[in-house]
Amino acid sequence: MTTQLLSEDDIALAGEYVLGLIDADALGAVEARIAAEPAFAAEVAGWQERLQPMLEGAAEQPPAPLWPKIASRIGGDAVTKLDTGQDNTPSRLRFWQGIAFASMAASVLMAVVTFTRPAIESPAPSAPLIAALGSETGKAAMTASYDPASATLTLTPVAMETGELYPELWVIPEGGAALSLGIIARDRPQQVKVAPELQAAMAKGALLAVTPEPAGGAPGGKATGPVIASGKITTI
Amino acid sequence: MNEVDPSFAERRASDDRARLADALVRTGHGDRTSFEELYKRTSAKLFGICLRIFPERQEAEDALQDAFITIWNKAAAFDPARASPITWLCAVTRNRAIDRLRTGGKAGFAPIEDAAEIADPAPLADANLLQAGEMAALNGCIESLEGRDRNFIRAAFLHGATYAELAARDALPLGTVKSRVRRALIKLRECLDG
Repeated sequence: MTTQLLSEDDIALAGEYVLGLIDADALGAVEARIAAEPAFAAEVAGWQERLQPMLEGAAEQPPAPLWPKIASRIGGDAVTKLDTGQDNTPSRLRFWQGIAFASMAASVLMAVVTFTRPAIESPAPSAPLIAALGSETGKAAMTASYDPASATLTLTPVAMETGELYPELWVIPEGGAALSLGIIARDRPQQVKVAPELQAAMAKGALLAVTPEPAGGAPGGKATGPVIASGKITTI
Repeated sequence: MNEVDPSFAERRASDDRARLADALVRTGHGDRTSFEELYKRTSAKLFGICLRIFPERQEAEDALQDAFITIWNKAAAFDPARASPITWLCAVTRNRAIDRLRTGGKAGFAPIEDAAEIADPAPLADANLLQAGEMAALNGCIESLEGRDRNFIRAAFLHGATYAELAARDALPLGTVKSRVRRALIKLRECLDG
């Protein structure tokens, strides 16, 4: 039977809410009631539970490349969450899958992109850093700015063609091997939180480079594609 | 059909629920490993929902991606005391998918025949037995509604139809559709909980 606390009107209202039938202008009021009235909130939860079986088709494994896409998307959108101060280093390590120190492929990458002279001065601890990434032909591919204080890298792609592959961003410290910053979006601005173990590499004089890689990133953290864009990190 | 000890099935379902709730809470704290575990455990089921709302596979895949991004962003709002994790995940997935439908201008236009039958249950593992019971109960109660009301509820829930769209499609006054749906909801609740 219906509970004494709620009228039939409210029960129907909660059902309409779950069905998505509440007009936009009334939605705020209903959501305020959910927040403020436990009995009404419980009725909404009850409707979600009651109607859920209607949603269920046969379960089906989504195609494998979907997870890496999701993982790369939260790499950019999760900035505030990662600032909660808790230690989730292991998961981040795993997420940025495979930070390869000195590897053959990385050396190959280095040979392709390391044509810059060593930088002389080291950056002030929290001066913002920027990089303009260009393609071989000198065309702008992407701009990047990095705030060392928040370890946030802001990327704005201009033109990056990776065909069926995905653009993977690398930071290459002077004299060091390429470190993966993960798969990035090729067609929209995004923010990437740089993992603690990679933050030291984000310094003036280091190179940012993009290679096309298979879904999920370069196997074993070693770049396989040619460098399609690169640029040196510098101060403003 | 295999005999399954119901208490065993119940215990398993409750273990599953606890593990899932835990993974969802940790995801809310920004834990990527838990988020990945959540994905592994629920993506097949949630993909089933997306395929139900978007019969076109590519669109269903995009909807699933969106749903998981939304789950990541909203997980902190999940309260294990108030909702079961799988219900919460299904609701977020459904709502996100319907938003997509509406943004793409495709909501409410599915022919009513498309919504005609409820999910055919997948082959049942023992942990799904309880769910299967719920599904059968909802099926039975929905079938007990008048055909038109049944279609209203399905068109809204699975295709994002608004009252205005339901009214236009059936050439009925808006007020009539509203009061029919509201009455049908009360009947449905009495059938399921009463």
